[in-house]
Amino acid sequence: MISANGALQLGDITLASVSNRGFTPEELAERALDRIIHVGGNSHPLIQEQAEAFKDQIRGVLVEYMRQAVRSNHTTLANQFRDAGHPELVKLLEI
Amino acid sequence: MAITVATAMPTSFKVELLKGLHDLQNGADALKIALLKATASGSGTYGAASTNYSNVTGNSDETSGSGYSAGGNALTNVTPVAAGTTAVCDFSDTTWSSASFTSCGAMIYNTSNSNSACAVLSFSGDQTVSTGDFTIQFPAAGASTAIIRIA
Repeated sequence: MISANGALQLGDITLASVSNRGFTPEELAERALDRIIHVGGNSHPLIQEQAEAFKDQIRGVLVEYMRQAVRSNHTTLANQFRDAGHPELVKLLEI
Repeated sequence: MAITVATAMPTSFKVELLKGLHDLQNGADALKIALLKATASGSGTYGAASTNYSNVTGNSDETSGSGYSAGGNALTNVTPVAAGTTAVCDFSDTTWSSASFTSCGAMIYNTSNSNSACAVLSFSGDQTVSTGDFTIQFPAAGASTAIIRIA
């Protein structure tokens, strides 16, 4: 008799929601990190430690560049507001 | 009545996979994810016995509110790969922006295969967003974590 074990399985999703605002760079970076670096629970402790250290390093880079992207987008929006004749709206971006 | 939802892979999806009715490669079948209403606002039961997005619409159980369009969000498929000896499937995270609604679960369905159900996801209770962003984050595409995997 020939047999093999296998299964069709479904993973667990994570929900994230914020009210009266959008996600911050820090919150988005955490989600991105979960996708970029995943360490299996059965991995060697040394590997897990190295992965966590790498994760911390990447976190800072992601947050910095996301903040830069937000600032850059604000510049684009500010110009669009001015071009549309609504320079007063630019102040809304200065948070 | 109230909505009953359990995270499950529909039995019909398993059969359809073996029939070759779903192509989950990037750029192949178009999958969407629709959200259910708040538990107390609906009446259907969703889980392994669910077969189609029409199960949701038939019970008028799809959520509504600003930032949400009927049918839900399109999903971006990541072409399945092998993780060790396990085949894994992944989707990009999906976000409803500037949204206001409450939902107790979701159904992933394949619009390229007559809206047949691929997965039912429970949120373990009602989740509410109010003039904000609501994101479903899919797990890392690992052998023990991926959203859909064949071990």
